[in-house]
Amino acid sequence: MTTSVIAPATHQPSTTAARKGAIDLRQVRKTYGDVVAVDQLDLSIQPGEFVTLLGPSGSGKTTTMMMVAGFEEHTSGSVMIDGVPVDSLPPRERNLGVVFQNYALFPHMSARENVEFALRMRKVPKAESRRRADDALDRVGLSGLGGRKPRQLSGGQQQRVALARALVFNPAALLLDEPMAALDKRLREHMQEEIKTLQKSLGISVLFVTHDQDEAMAMSDRIVVMKDGRIVQSGPPEEVYNHPVTDWVASFLGDTNLIPATVISRDGEEAVVDLAGLGTGRVRDRGAQGERYAVSIRPEHLKFRAGPDGENGGAGELTSSTNLGATIRHRITVGGHSLQLRELSSDAGASGHAVGSAVHVGWDADKAQLLVLEG
Amino acid sequence: MATATLERSRPRAGGPSGSAWPRRRRRGGWLLLLAPIVAFDVLFFLTPLGKLVASSFTGGAYARVLADPLVTRSLVNTLTIALTSTVVTVVLGYVIALVLWRSGTVMRVILFAVVLLPFWTGILVKNFAWAVLLQDNGLVNDFLQNIGLTDAPIGLLHNRFAVIVGMVHCLLPYAVFPIFSSLTAIDGRLALAARSLGAGEVSVFRRITLPLSTPGISAAGLLVFIISTGFFITPVVMGGPGDMMIANEIDYYARQLTDFSGAAALAVILTVLVSVIAAVYQRVLKAGGHHETL
Repeated sequence: MTTSVIAPATHQPSTTAARKGAIDLRQVRKTYGDVVAVDQLDLSIQPGEFVTLLGPSGSGKTTTMMMVAGFEEHTSGSVMIDGVPVDSLPPRERNLGVVFQNYALFPHMSARENVEFALRMRKVPKAESRRRADDALDRVGLSGLGGRKPRQLSGGQQQRVALARALVFNPAALLLDEPMAALDKRLREHMQEEIKTLQKSLGISVLFVTHDQDEAMAMSDRIVVMKDGRIVQSGPPEEVYNHPVTDWVASFLGDTNLIPATVISRDGEEAVVDLAGLGTGRVRDRGAQGERYAVSIRPEHLKFRAGPDGENGGAGELTSSTNLGATIRHRITVGGHSLQLRELSSDAGASGHAVGSAVHVGWDADKAQLLVLEG
Repeated sequence: MATATLERSRPRAGGPSGSAWPRRRRRGGWLLLLAPIVAFDVLFFLTPLGKLVASSFTGGAYARVLADPLVTRSLVNTLTIALTSTVVTVVLGYVIALVLWRSGTVMRVILFAVVLLPFWTGILVKNFAWAVLLQDNGLVNDFLQNIGLTDAPIGLLHNRFAVIVGMVHCLLPYAVFPIFSSLTAIDGRLALAARSLGAGEVSVFRRITLPLSTPGISAAGLLVFIISTGFFITPVVMGGPGDMMIANEIDYYARQLTDFSGAAALAVILTVLVSVIAAVYQRVLKAGGHHETL
């Protein structure tokens, strides 16, 4: 995760000599009375790694971040930063940069004063703190706006100030709590790229909290999916997306086709399953154990076929086609299942199936994932 | 006839999205609804006020009262007592508001009741209660002697100190509520952000909480000062002869000297003085408010 060439020339290379910013959570648990907010959580963030806690509201992701920051005290377990337990340290001694959901900029201070705050708290001489604050503002593209109050800045600019403020004191790591929630879609995508670029150029570790799976996919080195205070799955974005371990993870990270399956044999890598109404097939397996299983096939991995060739597929009827602009969503009834097939609009002309016509569909074995059906 | 039909058809047309014509009718109707209160105010407030101002300009009243050394003295008393009790009230009120703000639900309800209590108690009751506490053989003096801090009763009543105590007690709610509401308006994440940036409790208070609650402090200061210039009973019950305020002087002119134009002149002087001070105060605040820095 260290090879990035997209950092623009204006960004300063990381000046910190030794790579730091490892965060370790060991068996961390947080309860409020009888309610368990976070349960026996183990999580390690490597120096320079961008880790996203992804989950719906109430999944414990923000609580986890607050415990790392020191705003919430964990009930049991241990939090370590660069190998040192910080359980008894107040937030101000943890040396972590935090960006809050609505930025929490100090409204009575100018952008520069906001950025300087941490330096003033560290008794940095006035001239130096001003220079470093201006440097930090330059780095986030806000040169010359240091004199403005937060209310005189746009949402995107406020977020840049919040980033500069969290980075100016060379923190061990950056904690971001849904920092893009208040921005509109286009600006959000732009800021995602900027934050990612900035993070790479600084080589700083990031713990990112969001409920937006697109954001998590776009930015993370690793996604940690949380549900009910527990980690459900953790891995690189492609892996979590293509190989979800439960139907819940599969649905949370986007649209999917779930076909109930009976396991015939499995070796931990691959499984042979009986797909009710669709015959037997070979699918990917991650060894997840449960009572009931299903196979997940993303709509974009389901393909039209010219004829009834190969395993992993079947014949059915095209019941509807909806043009979504860039893509077309087809619904196909195959062996009693209604499956979703998504193809690029630019590819659609060639196949040219009419609604109501008989079609053949199928998928590649490595694109079908065996998972556990929850609930 | 036509208007009557319009009036009647309006509810059926439904909602505020009617044509311009009924809307104009309605605006006229609203003004008409104001008529009773306007008439009442003109009759019972503006007319007497006008008469008072007019009478203050008869018989050289201003020259007469301003030549009276007792008047200048009570004016000085009014300003110094009002200023002192305003400062004490705002400081005490800030502390109480801070505790209220930081306390849990149950504690907050209890504290609110305690703060509101003086609101519901008559000023005479409050002042006499303090007189009982502060008198020579009162609770406070007894306590001081019992613990051996003093040998004889110390004069706690019928002086400037007692007046301030009595006034502050009455004025506290007026300071607590504006300050409390400005504290609750502060985003709680600002303190978290400051702590993550390296601030301790003291720095959070000094650099975040205090500057962001200044609107409440200035509102409380103005409100309390204006109210405190008009105190009348407290100087009588708890003050000494040297603690008379302008309201007492007005009373003296009206009842002892039966010099109504003199009393009117004093009332006008007080009103103008307080208005000028309030205007200057707000001008200064406005000029200073935008330069809040670290």
